[in-house]
Amino acid sequence: MRIGRATAYRTHEGVLMDQLHPRRRTARPVGACHPRPVAAALALVAATALAACGPEITPGDGGDATAPADDPDVLQAPTGDSPSGEITIWSRSGDLYKVFDAAIDDFNQKYPDIEVDHRAVDIDAKLQNTLITGTDVPDGVFLDDAKVAGFAEHLWDLSDVLQPYVDDIAPQKVDVNSLDGGIYGVPFDLNPGLLYYNKTALEKVGIDATRIETYDDLLAAAREYKSARPDSGPIHLERSAFLAQLQLEMYASQLGTSIADENGELRLDSPEYERILGWLDTVRTEGLGTRAEYLTPSDIETLESGRQVFYPWAIWFSFAPQQLLPETAGDWRAMPLPAWEEGGARGGAMGGSSFVLPKGGESSELAWLFYEFLMFDEAGYTAVWGPNDIYPGGLNTSIPSYRPAADATEPLFDPVDALGGQDLWSVAVEAGRQIPGGAPIPAWWAGAVDHLGTNMQRMFDGELTPRDVIERSSADIQKNLVERQ
Amino acid sequence: MTTTLPGSAARPRPRRVSLVTVRSQIFLLLLTLAFLAPVAWALLSAFKPANRIISDPLSFDPTSATLDNFTRMFADVPIGQGFLNTAVVLVFKGAITLFFAPLAAYGFAKYTFPLKNMLFGTVLITLMLPTIVLIIPLLLQMKELGWVNTYQALILPGAVDAFAVFWMRQVIAAVPDELLDAARVDGCREFALFRRVVLPVIKPALAGLAVLTVMNIYNDFVWPVVVASSERMATLQVVLSTLAQNITGNRIGADYATITGELLAAASVALVPLLVIFVALQRHFINGILAGSVKG
Amino acid sequence: MTLAVDTQASPSASPSPKRRANRSRWRRQLAPYVFVLPFIAIFAAFGVYPMLFTLRLSFTDWRGSGAAEWVGWDNYTYLLGNEGFWSSVSNSAVLWLLIIPVQLLLALVIAVLLDNAKLRLRSFYRVAFLVPFVTPLVAVAQIWVVVFDQDYGAVNAILNTFGLPDVGWLTTSLWAKPTLALLFLWKTTGFIVIILLSGLQSIDANVYEAADIDGASRLRQLVNITIPLVRRTLMFSLVLQTLAVFQMFAEPFVVTDGGPYGSTTTAGLHLYEHINRGDLGTGAANSFLLVIIVMALSLLFVRLLRAEDR
Repeated sequence: MRIGRATAYRTHEGVLMDQLHPRRRTARPVGACHPRPVAAALALVAATALAACGPEITPGDGGDATAPADDPDVLQAPTGDSPSGEITIWSRSGDLYKVFDAAIDDFNQKYPDIEVDHRAVDIDAKLQNTLITGTDVPDGVFLDDAKVAGFAEHLWDLSDVLQPYVDDIAPQKVDVNSLDGGIYGVPFDLNPGLLYYNKTALEKVGIDATRIETYDDLLAAAREYKSARPDSGPIHLERSAFLAQLQLEMYASQLGTSIADENGELRLDSPEYERILGWLDTVRTEGLGTRAEYLTPSDIETLESGRQVFYPWAIWFSFAPQQLLPETAGDWRAMPLPAWEEGGARGGAMGGSSFVLPKGGESSELAWLFYEFLMFDEAGYTAVWGPNDIYPGGLNTSIPSYRPAADATEPLFDPVDALGGQDLWSVAVEAGRQIPGGAPIPAWWAGAVDHLGTNMQRMFDGELTPRDVIERSSADIQKNLVERQ
Repeated sequence: MTTTLPGSAARPRPRRVSLVTVRSQIFLLLLTLAFLAPVAWALLSAFKPANRIISDPLSFDPTSATLDNFTRMFADVPIGQGFLNTAVVLVFKGAITLFFAPLAAYGFAKYTFPLKNMLFGTVLITLMLPTIVLIIPLLLQMKELGWVNTYQALILPGAVDAFAVFWMRQVIAAVPDELLDAARVDGCREFALFRRVVLPVIKPALAGLAVLTVMNIYNDFVWPVVVASSERMATLQVVLSTLAQNITGNRIGADYATITGELLAAASVALVPLLVIFVALQRHFINGILAGSVKG
Repeated sequence: MTLAVDTQASPSASPSPKRRANRSRWRRQLAPYVFVLPFIAIFAAFGVYPMLFTLRLSFTDWRGSGAAEWVGWDNYTYLLGNEGFWSSVSNSAVLWLLIIPVQLLLALVIAVLLDNAKLRLRSFYRVAFLVPFVTPLVAVAQIWVVVFDQDYGAVNAILNTFGLPDVGWLTTSLWAKPTLALLFLWKTTGFIVIILLSGLQSIDANVYEAADIDGASRLRQLVNITIPLVRRTLMFSLVLQTLAVFQMFAEPFVVTDGGPYGSTTTAGLHLYEHINRGDLGTGAANSFLLVIIVMALSLLFVRLLRAEDR
């Protein structure tokens, strides 16, 4: 009886895909099925797909017809006295959104007839889809520098409208927005790398950090600190593959190079990269580094306890002492990065963003006026970086890339209390001036993290030598990214 | 007891009230603790000063509890509008799925008709295709239809999804044919068979489907984010994702801490209605089944 | 019993038995079309069409603008010869091994316990196990990062109190997969419990009664009675979760971003990376390769189930 029950129930207890099994067919005429439907469906699907759905396809190597003489991809500034219309602007959510939003009032004083529809949007999730499908395309978008090249074919070439300003823009920012002779973004902020250091902790053991001028000096200071505090790892070594690669590019930018040249050709295998990676490897092998992911609990704890005292990072590290390091706030200072050679450049760029104008936008030329105002008009850039409701002391996590706005003697933001009242503005502006050009960002930069950024982590683990990192990463990036373009 | 019908099983089961029950209670309590602790952490953290969430994540000091994250979040993001849009989508998409999926499944499970197997095979293939690749084709389609930024774009794609039909088909296939035939002899029409015979029998699975459907609609964000570009159409998860973008990336940005606080506040607020729905569903479906069968 | 009442309540007034039979047969033939049609309409428009589009895309090189270039099987041969693709598949396979056996067993035990009508706090448990399933993932990601922090996370703090050393949960390729698996288990087990409960509720209590009389232990009842009876529901959950594990994308995306050392780059995340890079053709081809893998696994499971049936 019991056994009979059990089998009786088996049939109606639930049938898993039994339609996929031929034997079931005779036993269960209703709802029975077999493997063939899947195969048949596949065949039908294939036939229909190849015939109907999908994008337009060209045989052989595609490519657009040659552009007409008057290049339709280059944006022209609007003509006429009082331009009017409505523009849609996408920004990242958060404080920066609020800063731009507040600046719209100033913009409308100059252009009263342009209405700005300013939206906080998940740009990473939306922009690609929007551009590809051409639906509801915004007129202007805030975008990471590293992503500009990847979207270039959907964007206006701004070289014409930027022409009056381009000579006054930090060359690094022009480079990252340039591709094949066009400029595809309005450069926003400049993010000079700085050497943040815990002045109080260093002074306690008699180290004067201001005397550090080269990376060799930094090593020497770190050794000294380490001998005084054996539990320390004075220099930050980044554990996130993405940020480690970003920081590597900061070091490289000091030497006027980057992972690829303006033609997109890989140039990782160079004396410059060998030198930087060798230096990082020395930090590791001598136990002079603290390996942690940027501002995770581990990182914060070692910063607060004085075990991590040197943080070569972009200017935006400044918010850490202001918000996340209550114990050591006031102890931190910033100085220009050490140079690789005595007398070498003490500035390198790490991260940054620009504004792009999609070709599918309806009022791109009006959006240009908006960004022109924000970046190149004194009322505009003062509204962005100067004291405002959101940042009472001004926005001190970056500086303008437009040189007339970045004047060492006319600070836009106030001295920073968490840096002991230091005038971060002049330090950053000075470092920013020294950033060499010649460091474009290839479209596949983010994809390279899986190779270069990851291999750097393996080097920090002691598994790879700097030479290995260069060779392996070069081969993988060449095969998986450069050749798949 | 001539036939043994699922769902009509006589309950409650006689069980020994013994050490076993005590042990199961302890086991279940510990397990729920592990399941709830992380969520409790998120809820509590929402009441902490934003920078403390990052710099001292594990402690909670009641004296420094604050509503700052909530007030800032309510001021910064249109979460009210998000709730409204999510509610609209939930009602329509949920109703469509919960009615038409079992109905179609019934058709597949208990009838024969030409091309049935091929149709069902196609359902299986789409089920196995990661949704992420379908976003761009779907969006192009919405553009053609002029549906971008409309409720129908949020509701129709993904309504009656393949998985719901697949699951319900397998549940309904298990309902004995004799049961249906008996009802037919009694003069039941085809739709009445579905309503009066099939639906009551599959109620437990239907409850599961309701949970899944509500949760999928409520927490879906990839599609709403791309298809609803105006604030007017933003669902709750779209609102959450605009907050989260600054965090899921690489902690770049001065407001990383404050945004984390706002995000946790928004997530807490988002969680509450869902829990209410589930408690209600629970009472309606699961307890309903028990009550009914005890009476029967 | 309830069913019997229901069927009796239905109207049965009809003129002549013969006409009634005819009409009934006609209704029976027409019915499935009416039932299936609404679904088919929506499915064809928003399921089949985009799938066909994607299939066609997988044979082209298309970056999202201009005309797509027909490249035949290039995308597929590239992926099949690509280390990244295979390592993403093997990462998913390892995650599958870490997740599925534990999840099915745990969910089954919970479901069996919750199936007991006399259990106190039953309603509470049912909702409690579902809470992680419904908590927005972005909030969950925050939790995981701080709880599993290498030096200051809660988990390592607990380990330390027992004299155990710190574990690099999210920083070593050895531990990152188990940590991610734990997240997935935590998040989705509640739903599998619900599915299994719906299967368990069709088991007749008399089966257990009889076993009780026989004096079979609870474990024995589980192995000898419950598992065989819910095996199809278990198998269904197995296929469902196999799909979910191989398509897993959001969890590693928000928690580990595929790292460290690419150890949590799942098959789902890897294909997203192609799409995100604008390489839509390769992304589409990657998806169809996944369909084939998942389908092969499902067929294998079904076959194993059959073999046991015999």
